[in-house]
Amino acid sequence: MQGLLYMTFFAAFTWFVVKVQNHRRLMAVTLAGVMVVTLVGAPQPAQAQLGILQAIQAVLNVINGVIQTALTSINTVRTAVNNLQQLVAWPQQLINQARTQVTQMIGQYRNLMTNIFHINLNSATLPHPQALEAVIRDHQVNNFQGLTATFANVYGAVPVATAANPGDRAMSDMDDALALDNLKTLKAGDQATDIELQSADAIENSASQAAPGSAPFLTATAITSAIHAQALTQKLLAAELRQEAARIAHRNTLRKENATNTTQLRGVLVNLLQHQ
Amino acid sequence: MKRFADLLRTTKNWMLGHKFRAVILALVLVFTAPWPARAQLISPCCALLVAGLSSIQSALTKVVGGGLNQILGVDKAMQQFQQAVVWPQNLINQARGLVGALQGNYNQIQNLMHIPVNSATLPTAQQLEQVLLSRNPNQIAQTAGAYTALYGPVPAPTAASPQVLNMVDMTDAAAQAAMKRAIEIDALADLELQAANQLNQSIQAAAPGSAPIIEAQADAWLIRANAYTQSATADLMRLRAVDLANASADIKMGATNTTNLRQALANLLQHQ
Repeated sequence: MQGLLYMTFFAAFTWFVVKVQNHRRLMAVTLAGVMVVTLVGAPQPAQAQLGILQAIQAVLNVINGVIQTALTSINTVRTAVNNLQQLVAWPQQLINQARTQVTQMIGQYRNLMTNIFHINLNSATLPHPQALEAVIRDHQVNNFQGLTATFANVYGAVPVATAANPGDRAMSDMDDALALDNLKTLKAGDQATDIELQSADAIENSASQAAPGSAPFLTATAITSAIHAQALTQKLLAAELRQEAARIAHRNTLRKENATNTTQLRGVLVNLLQHQ
Repeated sequence: MKRFADLLRTTKNWMLGHKFRAVILALVLVFTAPWPARAQLISPCCALLVAGLSSIQSALTKVVGGGLNQILGVDKAMQQFQQAVVWPQNLINQARGLVGALQGNYNQIQNLMHIPVNSATLPTAQQLEQVLLSRNPNQIAQTAGAYTALYGPVPAPTAASPQVLNMVDMTDAAAQAAMKRAIEIDALADLELQAANQLNQSIQAAAPGSAPIIEAQADAWLIRANAYTQSATADLMRLRAVDLANASADIKMGATNTTNLRQALANLLQHQ
């Protein structure tokens, strides 16, 4: 725009220079033209410099103000979170202390309890009871036939058909059967208990090396072990219920027989007195 | 083109004829023309721009870069701490491995609980034993028949006193209920073992963040299992309470019978 204006004035100035007649007028035209053309061709004042400075200062203000404050705040928060994690939530010292405690308690209790648990309880003195006692406490499930045989050696077999009435034979057979059932269940239960103890040892060993992030796995599997232990307890309780039920059923049958016998005896006595 | 050449020729002739005026025009053009600003880098404006940009660069490097580097340092420390201390991958894998190994133990326990223990030899005893050890709630309904076949029914009303009949019936009821509860508890225990195995398999595939969810479910199962255990214990206590009550009733009836016998004997002696 400025160039176009300058060309227009310069053309006019050239026209005056060409057309002017004498030297005095030429000088006047030249001076006037130089002044006008100089004004037209003079560079425009650099008004934008002030804008650039203000813009740069504004950017610097943003950087040193808002951004620096924000970054400082973020850094403060992140540092606080880091400290919270390392000093409050998962302090390395307490993690190591917990691991050490697990190891220390393993040393303090495990062998002691294992030794107590494995104290020999066998107390029978005669051969047959000794054999039965050995087999019912051996934690094995592959010798049930031996258990049945040693049980019969100690408690005898069910009377033969000619030696007792069918009811008594059946009841005796049921009593023996439930006793044997429970002894077998207890042998299986003893072995399952051994496995539970192995599981507990394995979980405790792992706990001595665990990290906060791996401990939930151990906790969860420990709880599933506890569910198994509860199920095992329930199996034993069910066996105990069967046994107790059979015991009072047996005594109740004797009560029924007594009632029947008493009634029969009363009838016999009445008949006897009537005949006298 | 020809006109342009003519114009140039005319201009040349004029300049040769008016050298002084041509010099004036040339000088005015040289000194007043608005020449393009070729030397920007050394102009004051550009120098200010350069200084400003340098300040921005310096501020960005120190304030933004420095701040971001500090944050990065803290984040790296957090990452390293979490990877090495809180969630170390090797210990997580080790824990998962243990969970897998324990599954073998659980399978052994489950197999042990399913070993057949039947021992009866006579038909009626075998029948009741089969029902009692069935672990099948659908067979609970058969308990009463098998029980009565073995232990006999409640005597007829004319066969015993009402008190004895009541006692006998109550005792049979308690014994049968306990047997039924035993079947129930066996079945429930089987389901608990099955669920525990399922939970353990889920734990093997879990992440540290999802394991506590499975743990919570396992806790719920444990509470449930405790409730069933308590229920079985309660039935056992009921059974023993009935047994104790029977023993007490025997003493009471013995006392009554003795008194009645004494009275009968006294009457007999008076009549003689």
